[in-house]
Amino acid sequence: MTQPARRQPFALSVLLGAILLSGQAMAAVSDQDILQDPKNPGQIVTNGLGVQGQRYSPLDTLNVDNVKDLRPVWAFSFGGEKQRGQQAQPMVKDGVMYLTGSYSRVFAVDARTGKKLWQYDARLPDDIRPCCDVINRGVALYGDLVFFGTLDAKLVALNKDTGKVVWSKRVADHKEGYSISAAPLVINGKLITGVAGGEFGVVGKIEAYDPKNGDLLWTRPTVEGHMGYVYKDGKAVENGISGGEAGKTWPGDLWKTGGAAPWLGGYYDPETNLLLFGTGNPAPWNSHLRPGDNLYSSSRLALNPDDGTIKWHFQSTPHDGWDYDGVNELVSFNYTEGGKEIKAAATADRNGFFYVLDRTNGKFIRGFPFVDKITWATGLDKNGRPIYNEASRPGAPGSEAKGTSVFVAPAFLGAKNWMPMAYNRDTGLFYVPSNEWGMDMWNEGIAYKKGAAFLGAGFTIKPLNEDYIGVLRAIDPVSGKEVWRHKNYAPLWGGVLTTKGNLVFTGTPEGFLQAFNAKTGEKVWEFQTGSGVLGSPITWDMDGEQYVSVVSGWGGAVPLWGGEVAKRIKDFNQGGMLWTFKLPKELVAKH
Amino acid sequence: MNWRLSCILACWLPLAAHAVEVDPVPSVMWAFYHKQLLADAPFVFDARVKLLAPPFAEDARQVPLEIDARAFKGHVVRILAWAELNPLPKIVDFQPKEGVLPWLALRIRIEQATPLRAAVLTDDGIWHVGSALIDAAGGGCTAPSVVRSQPGWEEHLGEVLGGRYPRGEFSRVRVQVAHPMDNGLVSGIPEFFINHGQLRGQDDQVLAELELFPAVSENPNLAFDIEAPGPTRLVLRDNSGNEFDAAIP
Repeated sequence: MTQPARRQPFALSVLLGAILLSGQAMAAVSDQDILQDPKNPGQIVTNGLGVQGQRYSPLDTLNVDNVKDLRPVWAFSFGGEKQRGQQAQPMVKDGVMYLTGSYSRVFAVDARTGKKLWQYDARLPDDIRPCCDVINRGVALYGDLVFFGTLDAKLVALNKDTGKVVWSKRVADHKEGYSISAAPLVINGKLITGVAGGEFGVVGKIEAYDPKNGDLLWTRPTVEGHMGYVYKDGKAVENGISGGEAGKTWPGDLWKTGGAAPWLGGYYDPETNLLLFGTGNPAPWNSHLRPGDNLYSSSRLALNPDDGTIKWHFQSTPHDGWDYDGVNELVSFNYTEGGKEIKAAATADRNGFFYVLDRTNGKFIRGFPFVDKITWATGLDKNGRPIYNEASRPGAPGSEAKGTSVFVAPAFLGAKNWMPMAYNRDTGLFYVPSNEWGMDMWNEGIAYKKGAAFLGAGFTIKPLNEDYIGVLRAIDPVSGKEVWRHKNYAPLWGGVLTTKGNLVFTGTPEGFLQAFNAKTGEKVWEFQTGSGVLGSPITWDMDGEQYVSVVSGWGGAVPLWGGEVAKRIKDFNQGGMLWTFKLPKELVAKH
Repeated sequence: MNWRLSCILACWLPLAAHAVEVDPVPSVMWAFYHKQLLADAPFVFDARVKLLAPPFAEDARQVPLEIDARAFKGHVVRILAWAELNPLPKIVDFQPKEGVLPWLALRIRIEQATPLRAAVLTDDGIWHVGSALIDAAGGGCTAPSVVRSQPGWEEHLGEVLGGRYPRGEFSRVRVQVAHPMDNGLVSGIPEFFINHGQLRGQDDQVLAELELFPAVSENPNLAFDIEAPGPTRLVLRDNSGNEFDAAIP
């Protein structure tokens, strides 16, 4: 792995600081730690087990043969009455686990015993506007600080030892519909975050802050027509309009409320020095109100981490009319084809297509369906642009209150939603948590009102099969073939982890954390956590033993938006629990 | 005792003159707090530290409290106050510097009838402890907030009402800050309170450092006696990282 150019004096000084401190056990998290993750098996300091987001652990102490002896060692309750969807990926540093819970809470827990070290509860105003449950997806670590974003769209920095606020900064106005649910990330000494709010007609943006004090360093709007800025000595310096100018792919003034919120955060590729972020749906949902491609909605963006300049973009659903957000993670990986190493990136989109891109320039390499039924498009052209099935676009309401309703698959909650897939470097496969569902959808008239839902559409989700919705799939990104699948009755909503031990971990809404043989898809272990598992599992090494952790707690978007799916999930109980497992030393030797 | 004699006594035997052997408000908690808050340091119960509070808390959520250590003017390092039988006993940690008198008034919450203490650390390393007893119907720490039931309270967060009142050689600065001061004891509402303050005078010179705790009432009322010339600034910060900056001309 090559290292990115380091031009900032600040990044350099942090690096030097980290080298000087490297002899100490309780070292602050450095840029180097972040870029090395997960090579140091004793810690997890990035969301995604590495800045590229592959969610691959090089640990193999725990493997397909001995995973049956994996057992719980402790569990930690988030407490209170705030048992809603839990979607965080924990971090581990120096024997302490840092994670978030519903309602913008942060916990620090002793990784050996599960003892709570501190808890921070953000004081949220009464009028927060999260679209899809009061969830949070985790923290970032840097220096001696723990960072997270709140439902009222603030970034908060906490002291890692006390949980006390070091600084707090408002990223955007929650009254306009902004919130933050994704984990921020720190790259080259910059703390980077997106925002949520595409259902409220916000203007999506990606921003970088100084982790030391919360000073804004650059801002990059993700809707065409809005000016980006870099900040020098507290002064805003223009850094170019996103997309060059307003009005190229949007009619009238709709770009001013265009959505395209990068609500799921992003990852970083050190080989190309690019931030890779996805953007959400254009606003409003009713596509007849906004003819054009509506850049940069439902796209993947590559940004220069130094100043937020957009280096390239790939739009998976131009002129989206089905809420096919393009936020899903774009995971960098290399593969060899015809003796040549390809620097690729893959993403499994809400719209049902799996895309492989050249991550040096965003060019389309190949794309193929990864779910059984796609009706909105008949395929992709040579540039990866969808070939629309116009009959599957819900009609314009015209003078009626409601336009013609159509059945379309996938449903707006997506062939795959936020839950991150994993890439295994040994099998060369992506493990994709997907869902088979469709929806009836129709359009309605709508006008923008600050802070109010800006949809102009109605919908009802329907399962496509009686016996399953969720499908965990192993997908070969080179051949486009599905290697194996594992069906699940309820829709899958949890992240995936894969390991050198030939294992794939993910959770189910039914409450199981499950492990699969990465090569064959055989289920080799499961554990009932007591509530639905929506979190992203991690694995790490502590005192010579391999541990696995995951959060449990049912909630998220499905119970709120699930339509006819609701009856499949109505009996699932809520929760808020962090489970930790290990393979005891003595049992490793036995095998 | 004539005035001259008392002065001689005060100079020669300051402890004997004012210290009280026994706790003026006998309390089972004294030894505990002496250890926990004062780290078992040398102390005297001292009537010169005046702790003024009403005998009965009419409104247990808003109890006026005045701490007067002006008898030790020029020698006060730190003033710590607490309510012994409160679930969250600590009230304030006040460190007056040059230009501000060792005097402070504020409003507090009382959960039940309790001894109140103000311990004043002087530069000789001795804590002088003033005491008072307050009776109350109770519930001041766990009653629902008045602020929070007002729609749009977030809009007014950190708004300051205040003024300066000349008193001859010094002036009294009084402020009220809009803040719910949630103490975390009301179910489902996390603690959210102003925890740090700094009084600054001309040229940003620091006049006093202030740590506040959730026993301070919502919409805190604070008053200071200031000798330094104006204007005075009160810089406040809450545990969520919000910062408020009030200037009093």
